Amino acid sequence: MTRTPLSYLPAALAAAAALAPVAVLVWMSVGADLLIDGRAFEIALNTVALTLLTVAGAVLIGVPLAVVTTYADLAFRRVWVAVLAAPLAVPSYLGAFAFFAAFGPGGEIETVAGLATPRAQGLAGATLVMTLYTYPFVLISTRAALQSLDANVVDAARTLGLSLPAALLRIVLPRAANGIAAGSLLVALYTLSDFATPAIMQLDTFTRMIYVEYNAFGLDRAALMSLQLLALVVIVLFFESRVRVRRERPGRILRLPLGNGVKAAALLLAGLVVLAALVLPVAIFGAWLVREGVVGFEPAYALNSAYAALLAAAGAVILALPVAYAASVGWIGRLCERATYLGFGIPGIVMGTALLYLGLRLPLLYQTLTLLVLAYVLRFLPLAVGAVRSSTERVENNLVGAARSLGATPGEAFRRVSLPLILPGIVAAAALVFLEAMRELPATLLLRPTGFDTLATYLWRVYEAGYLGRGAVPALALVVVSGVALVLMLSGEARRRRLTAG
Amino acid sequence: MIDRRTLLKSAAALGLLGPTHLWAASNRQSIAAESADDLPPLVGKLSVYLGRGEGGLYDDIVAAIEKRNPELELSIRRAPSAALANTLVAEAKAGVSRADLFWSIDASSLGAVAAEGVSRPVPAAIRRHIKPDFRYEAWAAISGRLRTVPYNPTRLDAAAIPDDIMAFADTDLKIGWAPAYGAFQSFVTAMRVLEGEARTRQWLRGVKTQARSYAGELGVVMAVARGEVDLGFANHYYTLRLKQGKPDANVDLALTRNDAGSLVNSSGVLLLNDNPLAANFLRYLLTDEVQSYLAREAYEIPMAPGVALPQGLPERVQPPSLDLTQLADLKPTLDLLRETRVL
Repeated sequence: MTRTPLSYLPAALAAAAALAPVAVLVWMSVGADLLIDGRAFEIALNTVALTLLTVAGAVLIGVPLAVVTTYADLAFRRVWVAVLAAPLAVPSYLGAFAFFAAFGPGGEIETVAGLATPRAQGLAGATLVMTLYTYPFVLISTRAALQSLDANVVDAARTLGLSLPAALLRIVLPRAANGIAAGSLLVALYTLSDFATPAIMQLDTFTRMIYVEYNAFGLDRAALMSLQLLALVVIVLFFESRVRVRRERPGRILRLPLGNGVKAAALLLAGLVVLAALVLPVAIFGAWLVREGVVGFEPAYALNSAYAALLAAAGAVILALPVAYAASVGWIGRLCERATYLGFGIPGIVMGTALLYLGLRLPLLYQTLTLLVLAYVLRFLPLAVGAVRSSTERVENNLVGAARSLGATPGEAFRRVSLPLILPGIVAAAALVFLEAMRELPATLLLRPTGFDTLATYLWRVYEAGYLGRGAVPALALVVVSGVALVLMLSGEARRRRLTAG
Repeated sequence: MIDRRTLLKSAAALGLLGPTHLWAASNRQSIAAESADDLPPLVGKLSVYLGRGEGGLYDDIVAAIEKRNPELELSIRRAPSAALANTLVAEAKAGVSRADLFWSIDASSLGAVAAEGVSRPVPAAIRRHIKPDFRYEAWAAISGRLRTVPYNPTRLDAAAIPDDIMAFADTDLKIGWAPAYGAFQSFVTAMRVLEGEARTRQWLRGVKTQARSYAGELGVVMAVARGEVDLGFANHYYTLRLKQGKPDANVDLALTRNDAGSLVNSSGVLLLNDNPLAANFLRYLLTDEVQSYLAREAYEIPMAPGVALPQGLPERVQPPSLDLTQLADLKPTLDLLRETRVL
């Protein structure tokens, strides 16, 4: 064995950094009084209610669409799948902005079409928006589960006299249950962490109240609520670790002869979802652009977003490499990798609160770009580690060994064998982190240096001042960024499929 | 923070001497506003915490100052005024200092920061250019704003509106308010000071059952004009600005008498260090050019003597006798708003 666990040192460092925010929160909240009054209970209740309702909504939309797009004979199936997955790439705050502006008295729908609509707000409004932007988790995971099912089992059931709907319900769904559960847990995780949607819909969840406390600089109370929120996250993560997607022996893929009525209903559902989640926001932002032009927008906002995101991408990749390597070496490394995954579960507003407090204690970091980038890196490191790992796993020792035995120096073997194999993973990791950081809102709100506004924080400022129309340019820019993220996500998916197939 | 004489003076000015005196540029010690042409150029780095610029109007002022002073390197942190005040307080406690000046739309946040002892007194040479009734030691008043009751004349008659703010809790009117907004919180603080905590709590609970919350007070005034609510609580200029764009909008201004409902609040600037650049920036905000712009475009009440008042400003104003520095005590107000679940 020539490997030395030298990579353990940076990996352990990354793991320690990932654990630091939690330690800071515990330290902060030590002085706070643990108030389990009616208010605290109500906030917890709102948070749980929003999460459960969103999961229910995502299952109701995601599962039927998954069944139809997997099994039915649809024209343009791949296009439908791509379009239906698209809302996942759009940050939900864009949807929340659009729904906030579109509905209700004096909203855009009433102004343009003269239709009176109820206001989108509270638990109902937040559930609607969160559902529209999280159901693709269920769609994708359910599709993956359905694709692995063998059609012969269904055929057997039907020859034994089961009707098609009954066969779907009793034979297919139970076996896809784990896939649905996996998607649902991701929906729950995303909903728990989301800040802007409950804030805009004025629903007092943990994330919204942490921001309220931050504004009142009740940092100890913000920390306490952060820990309560993290407890919920841990519960979800626990269930997530228990869910194992069952793999069946690959068989024939089921093809369902759907009646025209069912097909039309499915397409109607899909059309409505796409209309609400994608067309409506873009239409609203477009209308603002026409009406208000580019007033107030400065290109510096976009440049700031890109600059911070670029630094975050670089930082995350540099940290991810040793972590991914260490994870492939031994159990200590895998433990470090697990620790870095924590960032994924820490909501942005919680990460912001912890690092803000850290900044006040270490003034050298306070309101610096470094601290902001650190927040991005810690939050999105898991994405980078995942992408890098999926490529390092392909570098088998015998490949390098073969190169060496053919006379290559270690440097040459790395340059000509390992690097070309890892490089796509590194690029994908950097791109994923870059695109996520470009769109990050809550941690940026808390940690941005003075004079450093990003696309997302400018959009938030416009919302708080009540001049929504000025948000057209940043909102559309964020839609474009999300579009790029989607293409990347889908091409990564396609590449993985090719790799596993080949 | 403030000497007894100033306190008495402003109490007298706000309460007893009446409205005409309040708006007029007093003859006493009054010195006309400077022109931006007479000021030294601003050169160097300046870090400003700006408490909620009003939808671009403050940005226009900043842009104009930057254009005139190409060598000024301005970095601005924008957030709600109360949030920035709390940031400054937390920074003071942690011994961190990042801003040169704090420009806030609301006296209470200025007072809260001044109470931490981190402010520098406003230089006497600058104070001379502020209306005498609004001269404070810890911060410089920039523009005045009046609490009003915008109402929808198609939904109710002016006579049906109480002229006592406390009476609103006993009506069945539909009310719009913006509890997260700094000026609203100052209004509640004023009520707390004037009427006591118990009555304020009762009032908040009473109004809450008939109130609808908005993110800002522009939203409140627009909701009134649409008829979504009968009336609202908002600073005067939101209504005047809306009427400027839509002269036939269904909204008029009503005033209460001698209570928190007709509080005159002030935006202002607090100097956080001895950087002469910060003091000179403040002088720009008190120039004839900026003050006229604020009155003309933002409908705010100029604080420099001799600048024309905005059009449509209510004339018979009877504000409570209350010193603005008393508004600094924001914490109990926030506790009260939270306790009553208004916030």
